[in-house]
Amino acid sequence: MELRPPIVIASGVGGMGEYLKLIDPKQIGAYTLKTTTFKPRRGNPPPRLIATQDYLINSIGLENVGVEKFIEELENKVYDELFEKVKVIFSFAGENFEEYLLVAQKMSPYQGRFVAFECNFSCPNVHFNPLSNVAELERMLSELRKRLNVFLIAKLGIEGVFVEEIAKIIEKCGWNGVTLINTIRALHVDGDRIIKGGISGPVLKPIALRAVYEVRNRTNLYIIASGGIMNEQDAEQFFKVGANAISIGTALYKDPKIVEKIARMFS
Amino acid sequence: MENFSLTRSELIQLTEDTFIINFNEWIDFEPTQFIMIETETSIVRKPFGLGRWNEKLAIGVQIIGPGTNYIVQKSVLNAHGPCGKGFVPPEGKGAMIATPACLPMAFDLNKRCNCDVFIGSLEKLSIEIPFPLVIGDESFLNLLRSLEGYDWFLVIGSDQMEKVSYDVLKDKAEVFVSFNEYMACGIGACRGCAKETKNGLKHLCIDGPVLRGEEVWS
Repeated sequence: MELRPPIVIASGVGGMGEYLKLIDPKQIGAYTLKTTTFKPRRGNPPPRLIATQDYLINSIGLENVGVEKFIEELENKVYDELFEKVKVIFSFAGENFEEYLLVAQKMSPYQGRFVAFECNFSCPNVHFNPLSNVAELERMLSELRKRLNVFLIAKLGIEGVFVEEIAKIIEKCGWNGVTLINTIRALHVDGDRIIKGGISGPVLKPIALRAVYEVRNRTNLYIIASGGIMNEQDAEQFFKVGANAISIGTALYKDPKIVEKIARMFS
Repeated sequence: MENFSLTRSELIQLTEDTFIINFNEWIDFEPTQFIMIETETSIVRKPFGLGRWNEKLAIGVQIIGPGTNYIVQKSVLNAHGPCGKGFVPPEGKGAMIATPACLPMAFDLNKRCNCDVFIGSLEKLSIEIPFPLVIGDESFLNLLRSLEGYDWFLVIGSDQMEKVSYDVLKDKAEVFVSFNEYMACGIGACRGCAKETKNGLKHLCIDGPVLRGEEVWS
């Protein structure tokens, strides 16, 4: 996969293309859509966000319309303008292994429209954690590989087995890349309120750097680095430890123009 | 929807902690739309309702923490917008009930719509305003009870003030409320500003910020 510039808009944060209102599409290598699941998901009840200077905790819970409605939207040309402007990555997940396969099956006829499929194995806001059962994960990775011809990326977290061990299995199963790392489970106490969710932002950067470093040293996978990239210096550090591309997520909330600033490094 | 910088023209102090900031630049907006302003104290931008003051684009800011303090201190602010759905008032005469920090929005609405404006404050204001002003909780409740003959109400303020207002006004006419919910993107991407309503989940940055009160509280 060749992305110019090697900058990806992160799944979740980027919604379904809304940031093209604020960012020049020429400065985006690929735009990852919000994760689509087999069944529609209402998401978690509010409050869903809390932010400080150093982190954001979100508990969106994969709110999405489900794959059937998404396909209907694709066919009704809802995303045609997005496809015309940028390369698009499809992100998907399920509430069990079977649902991952069902989404892949339904999306298989449409895979040519996307530059890659990103399989979200690590959302911290849902109950199912595919990374907790390595044997089942390996079976599913192989099944998904058989069903899809597209560039396949696994989005990984760091909870459970060491991320480099999972990455080696992903490579063995014929997948092409990994996105490192997803948000991590966290909790914020705000007066009487307790907000649980996935943490992102600058606090994640050293953890994500280590994950990229370890996976680069053990695999030849294409690595999209994600976690706390807030400026050009952060981006440089991720490329230094072996990232092929970087993913911008939470930084968009602070300044959507950060994508264009980082893209200047490659012009 | 665009990114822009706003340079401060005037900083008008209303109370010890509440200010109006008006800007040299103008952007077109609909009533109750807002902008997302960047601060150095949070990794997400903060929403502020757009209005006008002295014929300039303006926002109202109540200092409640380091982020709002930053906005009052800085002479140049980075932002994007306008965000949200513009409020389209129903037929007839309306009344807007707001706190001092919402004065620029109130001034704008008063200019564009057939509505009276009433301001409820916890303390005296340091400037004269062209709307009736009541001070203190008891006076505010009396004001709400006295409002008659309107076809609709719009309430903008704190969560508590909005709920109290809704409870008193709901049997008199339709009550619209500008709801407050934590936001991150302000453009409908992140789905962070979800609000439970009787018609399902709504996202305040694209479906709001103004919703019918009975959708949320009935």
